[in-house]
Amino acid sequence: MEALEQLIQAGELSPVRDRMIAELEDVTTLCATYRSRIYRYALLSLRDPDLADSVTQDCFLRAYKARDEFRGDCSLATWLTRIATNLIRDAVRSRKFQFWKMVSSTAVEAGAMADRLRAPGLSAESSLVVKEELLKVWDAVGALPGKQRTVFLLRFVEEMELSEIATAMGLHVGTVKSHLHRALAAVRKGMESTK
Amino acid sequence: MKTSHLTTWEQEEYIINRRAPQLLRHLAECAECRAAVARLEHGVSIFRHAAVEWSAQSLATRPESWPTVSRKRLPVHALRWAFAAVVPLLLLVLALRPFHLSSPRPAQPAAAISDDALLEQVDEQLSVAVPSSMESLTHLVSADSGSNPGTAAYTRGSKPIVQTN
Repeated sequence: MEALEQLIQAGELSPVRDRMIAELEDVTTLCATYRSRIYRYALLSLRDPDLADSVTQDCFLRAYKARDEFRGDCSLATWLTRIATNLIRDAVRSRKFQFWKMVSSTAVEAGAMADRLRAPGLSAESSLVVKEELLKVWDAVGALPGKQRTVFLLRFVEEMELSEIATAMGLHVGTVKSHLHRALAAVRKGMESTK
Repeated sequence: MKTSHLTTWEQEEYIINRRAPQLLRHLAECAECRAAVARLEHGVSIFRHAAVEWSAQSLATRPESWPTVSRKRLPVHALRWAFAAVVPLLLLVLALRPFHLSSPRPAQPAAAISDDALLEQVDEQLSVAVPSSMESLTHLVSADSGSNPGTAAYTRGSKPIVQTN
């Protein structure tokens, strides 16, 4: 993002923008490049592989249809994340999702995930401790309010800069930081709790 | 010599954005704060690791289905060729347009004559005293009437047809 801002100031944005628009035109390459990232974001937000897949496909379709609206003032990854964020929000609001969320158990999902988690070089006892810690963080992140969870995932899983998160979510950087502080405080509290 | 430990907010600030030099200085000196930050960082780190792993495994089981796009754009070079083909045609049409405008227009068809004009024409024909088929007789009458109005009433060529004594 900072590099992009420098390019804007140097008046060299146009070639960069043209390259990004060309990238948008080729939907197959676009999917191949960003699919895993968008799917991961959707999966962790929704915790439903089928719905995450649907959101991912919809994200690329919308991006292709709206490619003329892409102004090139942010990276393609940020722009796609913004589209995905809106789609995830819509999916969460849907009644069907609310119903399935009510009947499903996040502990089961986290347990299954922790079992698959590879921990090379760790003893069985240490591995168990790590899995317990993971379950606590998993539950704490799952219990976060919508925006705090989104900001947490984008910063610590997708490793986006604060300014990129602000662009993707349509928030001020200060608001993003505030959400992150609250999310981290909740995660810390979750980790300190005894199950 | 440090006087106090980092607050939880400062520890979070370090994890969120590691650029603050005063936090780095404190963490370099304070083992207790360093341990607290490391615990939180470790929690975030194992979550990230598990999330990436879970997502990759989940994605691997799914077929690669790209969204189908029905609408295709014309490539830019095709549009350029179309433009290059249309422009000469347009110029030709514009060049020929003055000739087309200056050429005489065809006469209006009879049907196009208005009713008023037609009625006026009929009135003119009716107002004539002598029909057109008998106009030559009127010439004869007018020629002889000056000298001897009773001698020649009608002539064919130079020969009198009717003579009176």
